[in-house]
Amino acid sequence: MVAGKFKSRTFRRVKITTPGGENKISYRHRKPATPKCGSCGAVLKGVPRARKSEIVNMPKTAKRPERPYGGVLCSKCMRAKIKDQARQTKI
Amino acid sequence: MFEPGRLCVKIAGRDAGKTCVIVKRVDDLIVLIDGETRRRKCNIRHLEPLEKTVNLNEDASHDEVKAVFEKLGLVARDTKPKKVTERAKKQHKKKVKPVKTSKVEKKKAVKKVAAKKTEAPVVEKAPKIEEKVEAKTSSDAAAAYVKDEAKK
Repeated sequence: MVAGKFKSRTFRRVKITTPGGENKISYRHRKPATPKCGSCGAVLKGVPRARKSEIVNMPKTAKRPERPYGGVLCSKCMRAKIKDQARQTKI
Repeated sequence: MFEPGRLCVKIAGRDAGKTCVIVKRVDDLIVLIDGETRRRKCNIRHLEPLEKTVNLNEDASHDEVKAVFEKLGLVARDTKPKKVTERAKKQHKKKVKPVKTSKVEKKKAVKKVAAKKTEAPVVEKAPKIEEKVEAKTSSDAAAAYVKDEAKK
């Protein structure tokens, strides 16, 4: 009998073969949603789509691009933003 | 627009948002930049030119750029590599490797040991000879018993 929490589709179902040769259904956590740009909504590249517990163990450089607004804005929006800032500043 | 001495802001990569100055025009598209960014070649599409220009000789050194940036109130980035200090190397103890012997040699060694065991002289302990002479008959035994009693 399946436990109550596995009856909903919160968990994804994976068919596995046990070492004894039986075919069973394994219940796994779903991946979180893809990270998106805060400005235009484009899918962010260089940001892993993984659960928090997996991301925690990654090195810092693997978590986001190493530029200003990395992991928040896409590169296009970042360039536009910095251009605007540069035009406003006066040295 | 992108002549030597033009101040720009880099808009791409890890140096994005940092101010730099054009040191040399390398190509139609490529320029050499220095300043808050690393001293490096850069595509002009990755630069946003500012209104201000500074007096700078073409192909100026990093020190000259640094002096100009100090006047502007900016800090030029030093890209000198760190001095390599010598570290004391750990000396590992050498492991003594056991001498490898082939299977044939091992068998020979086992055979030799077995042969030695068989060759070794086995000292047989002589059985203790009982001093007391057992009485042959019941009558003799009785006589011996009487004699012992008399002695006591």
